Amino acid sequence: MAEFSTSIKEMGEISVINLKGFLDAHTAPALENNFTQLINDKKYKIVVNFQDLAYISSAGLGVFMAYIENIRDNKGDIKLTNMSDKVFNIFDLLGFPLLYEIYKNEDEALKKFSGS
Amino acid sequence: MNKKRNIISAQLQQFSAAALLLLIFKIFFGSPDSFYLRIILDLLTAAAIFFLLLALIRFENSRSSSQLSLVLNVGILLAVMFFIILFSDILLPAVFDNINLKMKNPGLVYTIVAFIYVLILVCFISYYLLTLRHFFFLNQRKNVRVYFNTMLVFFIMASLSVNFLQDESVSFISTTVFVVSVLLMIFNSLRISWIAFLSKKEKLYLLLLSFVITTLFIINIINSSGENFYSQILASFSPSLKHFNQIVMIYGSIYFLVLFFTTLFHLPTAEAFDRKAQEVTSLQYFSKLITEVLDFNDLAETVTDIAQKLSGSQSSWIIWKQGNNFNPIASKNIGFMESEKLTRHILNKISFGKLISTKTFNLGEKSLDGSSENQFSVVSLSPIKARGETHGILVAAKSIGQVFTQDDLNAIETFSDYASVAIENSRLLEESIEKERLEKELDVAREIQRKILPLKVPEYPNLKIASVFIPAFEVGGDYYDFFKINENKLGFVIADVSGKGISAAFIMAEVKGIFESLSKTIEGPKEILIKANDILKETLDSKSFVSAAYGYFDLVEKKLVFSRAGHCPLFLLRGGDSKQIKPSGLGLGLSDTEYFEKTLEEYSIDLKENDTIVLYTDGVTEAKNEKLEDFGDKHFINVLQSNLNLSADELSNKIIKEITVFSSGHEQYDDITLVIFKWQQ
Repeated sequence: MAEFSTSIKEMGEISVINLKGFLDAHTAPALENNFTQLINDKKYKIVVNFQDLAYISSAGLGVFMAYIENIRDNKGDIKLTNMSDKVFNIFDLLGFPLLYEIYKNEDEALKKFSGS
Repeated sequence: MNKKRNIISAQLQQFSAAALLLLIFKIFFGSPDSFYLRIILDLLTAAAIFFLLLALIRFENSRSSSQLSLVLNVGILLAVMFFIILFSDILLPAVFDNINLKMKNPGLVYTIVAFIYVLILVCFISYYLLTLRHFFFLNQRKNVRVYFNTMLVFFIMASLSVNFLQDESVSFISTTVFVVSVLLMIFNSLRISWIAFLSKKEKLYLLLLSFVITTLFIINIINSSGENFYSQILASFSPSLKHFNQIVMIYGSIYFLVLFFTTLFHLPTAEAFDRKAQEVTSLQYFSKLITEVLDFNDLAETVTDIAQKLSGSQSSWIIWKQGNNFNPIASKNIGFMESEKLTRHILNKISFGKLISTKTFNLGEKSLDGSSENQFSVVSLSPIKARGETHGILVAAKSIGQVFTQDDLNAIETFSDYASVAIENSRLLEESIEKERLEKELDVAREIQRKILPLKVPEYPNLKIASVFIPAFEVGGDYYDFFKINENKLGFVIADVSGKGISAAFIMAEVKGIFESLSKTIEGPKEILIKANDILKETLDSKSFVSAAYGYFDLVEKKLVFSRAGHCPLFLLRGGDSKQIKPSGLGLGLSDTEYFEKTLEEYSIDLKENDTIVLYTDGVTEAKNEKLEDFGDKHFINVLQSNLNLSADELSNKIIKEITVFSSGHEQYDDITLVIFKWQQ
């Protein structure tokens, strides 16, 4: 199946996860591990950058749902940025814009975190 | 087995018969001076020994004792014999007063006691002879039987000649025969090869035993030629027997003396031999294991276990590649933390994939901090490869002061090749089991989906319905259904469960149940979806959700009412144009009901002649071509736009055809569902 990889960079107390490739049922565990690790490290302010993500399936969307409650309970958030139109459409269909803050670029999301 | 026992008992009977005859002879004739009687006596004695030997040989063959235990038996018997001789000197004079007189003029009691005494000694001699024969036969020489029997013949000739050729003029014959016998003994005692296969410990043990045995044999020889009762009783019984006894003793002492020195000379190489032997056993054990061990973890444990023993290392573990991580597994004689630390240290210096063959690696000073109990100085690293790719590194570590010899490295190199094959086998097996399991699971999932979906579409005079469902290999979780609410109202649902396979199939079944029951009691699509969200929010795990659209046609009011919960929009084809209708709504199971309700809209359409309503799942718009491009909304709308006048069936066929053409060359990844309604009054 298609490849998927993630990388995390630390921007102060905010963690930015960069996604690359195809996020589906088979590759989702890699991203789940990232979230689990961040939560274990008590890093609840997370920005996910979709710049290099080519495709996301419903199982990929599920990953974000799995951790959001825990993260918001700890006064953190997952903010989504740099989505291609195609990826945004998929989020949009399900109504994700109602549940998540989605930004054009990473800076906006970072500003939002430090502002609040 | 029984047959064997019968043979043994038959021979014991023959031996008993001979012994009985011997006893009777003794009672009647004592120690005869007549030449013929002496011949008869020696023949009877020889027959008794012969049958006893035969019985013992059979008995010995029927059980397989180790050489060491045989040597020990000889030693024990010799010690017993030594004490019998010692005590007979003390006891016999006490029982029989004036024993010297008795010997010349024996009574019945004395005859019987002497007979038993001799009989015991005969048993001992036979056993020594037999054991020596056994050892001799261990030599892989040609004609062992001939050599041994020749020697025996000379033994007998030497014994008899002393008895019968006492005349001075012919005494050279007995001397010659005796010398030849001794030469044969020496010849037959050389080249002892069986000790080579003993371990060092066993060799040390054998060295001690053979020394003791040689000493005892020599003591017994000295005793038997002295003036004690032991030699006198034997001599008075039969001089030939006494001589035969001595010859066997000499043979025994020579053999065990040679054995002593052979073992002594083998000792320096014993350790190397031990190692080779262990290598052979380990490899044998391992090649057997390859076919037996199916579990990867068990196998890894065995691999490090053998590697540790084989190389004489302190500890061993495998650095195993899992994704992008390298973890120590199956650690032997080393803690996990320690092996992990060393693994990091090693991988800092050596590139995992570039290790081609076994090499040693000096850990250097850095790792020698005193924190650990095991202080290692050097490790050997062997790649575990399969299909040209390195999957792991077999590590064996030695502590300070130890080194890996070329032998160690060769052994471990050979071994890691075996290990690679074994581990690859077990991995392939695991994979194929897993694959089979998944395929079984998918069969079940497909079966569930097939039963959940409607068999046929409802038929109405003014509402034509067409539906197409094309399952993906991995069940995608698409679901659609129709509910006849009453004569005038037809409910419908289209949904897509997140995830794939069996878990998606189970959620589908749940969703079907929910809509089936809710549609019977509640009319409004919005209300139904709110209730559905309520239930699914509770039952689904946090990362699962369902996109759905529910609605109903009112055939009398000519109206379509529907709500969309995160599902693909609905297309309305009317008057030469297509319109995408996408009322707001979150997917089911994503948020709590309050927020869900707040964001959910209900949409109503007053139906007009030839209105076509198209429902679909994302399998349609996300169908991919070989460049991994999506079929896409635009393409989909284009197809709809240019086929406005087709019937429901024709339109669905047309769309499916377009998708098929587009995505030929790429495997269908998600379920494709298409439901089309056409209103015709």
